[in-house]
Amino acid sequence: MGIENLAEKAQILIRSRLCSPNFIFKPLSDSSDSNYSKLKFIISSSIMEACNNSILLLGPRGSGKVAVLELVLSDLLEEYPDTITVIRLNGLLHSEDNSALKEIARQLCMEHHLLFSKMASFDDNSQFMIAMLRECGLAHKTVIFALDEFDLFAQGKQRLLYSLLDAMQTVTSQAVVVGVSCRLDADQLLEKRVRSRFSHRKLLFLPPSKEDVQRLLEHILSLPMDSSLACDYAAEFNEKLQSILADKRFKEIISNYLNSNSTTNHLLRFLFIAISNMELKSGFLSLENFKAALSSIQRQPKQECIKDCSILELYILVCMKRLEVREQNSYNFSSVMKEYKSVHDSFPTSDYYAQNVCLRAFEHLLQRELICFTDNRGHSQSIEFRQVKLVVSYAELQEGLKSYRSCPVSHSHNSICF
Amino acid sequence: MRLMVIRVQRRCVKPSDFVNFLRGDLTSVIEKLKSLKKVGPNKSAGKPNGNMLYLIFDNLELIREWDKSSTALSFMFNLYDVLKMHELGLIFISNTSPDTYYSNMGYTEHVPVYFPEYTEDDLRQILMRNQPNRKLYSSFLDVVLRPFCRTTRRVDELSTAFSPLFRKYCEPLSDLASVPNEEMKRRLFSHFRPHIAPSLNEIFWVPSKSSTEAETNKDTTRKGSTRKSEVGDHFAQIDFHMSTSAKYLLISAFLASRNPATLDASLFDSTGGSDSRKRKRKASEKSIEQKEVAEQELLMKGPGTFPLERLLAIFQCITSAADSFDEDEHENDDLRAGGDGGLMSDVLLQLSSLCNANFIIKGGSCPLEGSTRYRSTVSEDLALKVARSLKFPLPNYLYRR
Repeated sequence: MGIENLAEKAQILIRSRLCSPNFIFKPLSDSSDSNYSKLKFIISSSIMEACNNSILLLGPRGSGKVAVLELVLSDLLEEYPDTITVIRLNGLLHSEDNSALKEIARQLCMEHHLLFSKMASFDDNSQFMIAMLRECGLAHKTVIFALDEFDLFAQGKQRLLYSLLDAMQTVTSQAVVVGVSCRLDADQLLEKRVRSRFSHRKLLFLPPSKEDVQRLLEHILSLPMDSSLACDYAAEFNEKLQSILADKRFKEIISNYLNSNSTTNHLLRFLFIAISNMELKSGFLSLENFKAALSSIQRQPKQECIKDCSILELYILVCMKRLEVREQNSYNFSSVMKEYKSVHDSFPTSDYYAQNVCLRAFEHLLQRELICFTDNRGHSQSIEFRQVKLVVSYAELQEGLKSYRSCPVSHSHNSICF
Repeated sequence: MRLMVIRVQRRCVKPSDFVNFLRGDLTSVIEKLKSLKKVGPNKSAGKPNGNMLYLIFDNLELIREWDKSSTALSFMFNLYDVLKMHELGLIFISNTSPDTYYSNMGYTEHVPVYFPEYTEDDLRQILMRNQPNRKLYSSFLDVVLRPFCRTTRRVDELSTAFSPLFRKYCEPLSDLASVPNEEMKRRLFSHFRPHIAPSLNEIFWVPSKSSTEAETNKDTTRKGSTRKSEVGDHFAQIDFHMSTSAKYLLISAFLASRNPATLDASLFDSTGGSDSRKRKRKASEKSIEQKEVAEQELLMKGPGTFPLERLLAIFQCITSAADSFDEDEHENDDLRAGGDGGLMSDVLLQLSSLCNANFIIKGGSCPLEGSTRYRSTVSEDLALKVARSLKFPLPNYLYRR
């Protein structure tokens, strides 16, 4: 087998690892004080003791809340095969009470092989849910409600949360509500009547520490010695990887990247790009792959936009900036054109174009969102007369003009003058 | 790869229903892909190969203008997490950079792939494709590409601008397949050079007249246009047909939008705007600063709105004034004949066609009167051109602050 072939296999293996949350979060959950163990303990004890419970999983986006929950649920489904029903709701889809109850009824019907009626009303569905909870409780079956984007369920009248938690209080039901949210104050959003029925267990998901990151990197990137990959190739790959991981420059790249957002998913995204950059010819990862990934993720979108502009578009941007520097707060295309003319009068160049050409350039800028209308009203007025503003800062504009390949002299002159 | 067409027409209003439908359909398609893969490992052409499914969302930035844009966008970005299908890939295409999508909702970020605008060399390579005579076209691009790139770097706009220009460039050539030498290039360039500057100031070109007629027109206008602005000299004549009464209506709408309503009485009295000199002197007595502020305000406000009655009154005034100006000209016979009542329905018809052509737009209705208000969108240049074609002294009637 050629080295390219091997490298491609290794690349596919690592990429499939990056896409599978089970693989990523499994090793982090071994210790007894991990969120995985705590969550599993809470849910399995409420299954064993046949009681109701509610938990909130809180933490920033991408910290693996749902992944850990799914890991726990799949383990529990294996351990207690016939006693668990999982209902999954998402706040983005089911924040409205009506559709949420409908979805609960649908999933309950699916699970218990009942016929689901699309036409059922809110009350029908709510009664059906309560009846099902009672039946499940009598049969010693636990229903687990996993509510993703929990804070969105707390919008409005919270009828769903109330009826769910209330049903868990009154009848002999056996249910666990797991809320997942990226708002740390999610429980404060609840109404009084809902909050009093909610047990205040919270699990906090923190970003991985430096040591955890290092362990995670090794865990993901090193190749197994016993797989279909040739043993000596895997050994060499791992050896090179170790030297990269120990490299000071690599550590700098990683800490630089994680400065802005140190959650696990953020790291995975970076690794995915780095792995895709791997050169198949040489067959091994190199520090350059990670460097390239960093520069492709950490972009300066506004400056790239400025680089994409034509000279005329730059002229218009500079004119707008000149107007803003003069503290003329409200202006539109016509006043920009006036400024353009005065700039041209003081520094005559060949770049003086007719109004319709300028208007087209102006529209390009609007499309790129380097400038935008100040208000959304006034659609009856034509573009020339609607107020606009710059959405690039002066520093960005200046920087962009400097790095522009063939920037005319008057531009840089203008931007330095004002 | 052959496209698998799924004909599904189901009405779904809620995102939850949409996700259920989508999940069902996607799983069935993925199953089908898997079975196809099992059946035919011989990879015959036309059969889909592999088991990834990609959903592509183009023009993503338009979603932000939807009513429920914030929820719709975060729903789109979270679709992968909601569906949890490994065989699914989501591709979002947007004209704007990713930083314009950050909102307080927050979502996990995607892998950015940035497509920079074409550079001059890229553009040359793209435009050179499918050209029968590459040498000739290359010498043409040497002349036009650089100046045009200063205004726009979009392929579509450049290629539409270049196709008539290339025809013009080739005009002196008898044989289009010939390979130009240096001397020939110089000759072509000297023939072509006068056309570059005016075409830079056009954004589209409508070949309405036959080329010879256009040519003679251009020659006559060029003689007269030396004292005018250098901008667009063959726009000096309006290049569309319009009836006389529609032209008058256009001018009346322009006046109604630019002039303050309070001055109508003094402007359109029986003398027909001949006292404008007096007003001008008064205006110049004001301090320059005040004038600038007022001018600024006018620039900011744009054309004003006016009710139908005012438009019709001005129309009546200027048509009768025009009669008094040129008694000899019989151009306005038809107007004079229908000057009373009978013309009105015709005028309303003209107004609606002007509205359809976007010369005049209907603004919001006035809250007090409840009638529709109109606004003229015509630029001053065009209005002056139309007036010139009627020999109507428009500047006399324009109120200058």
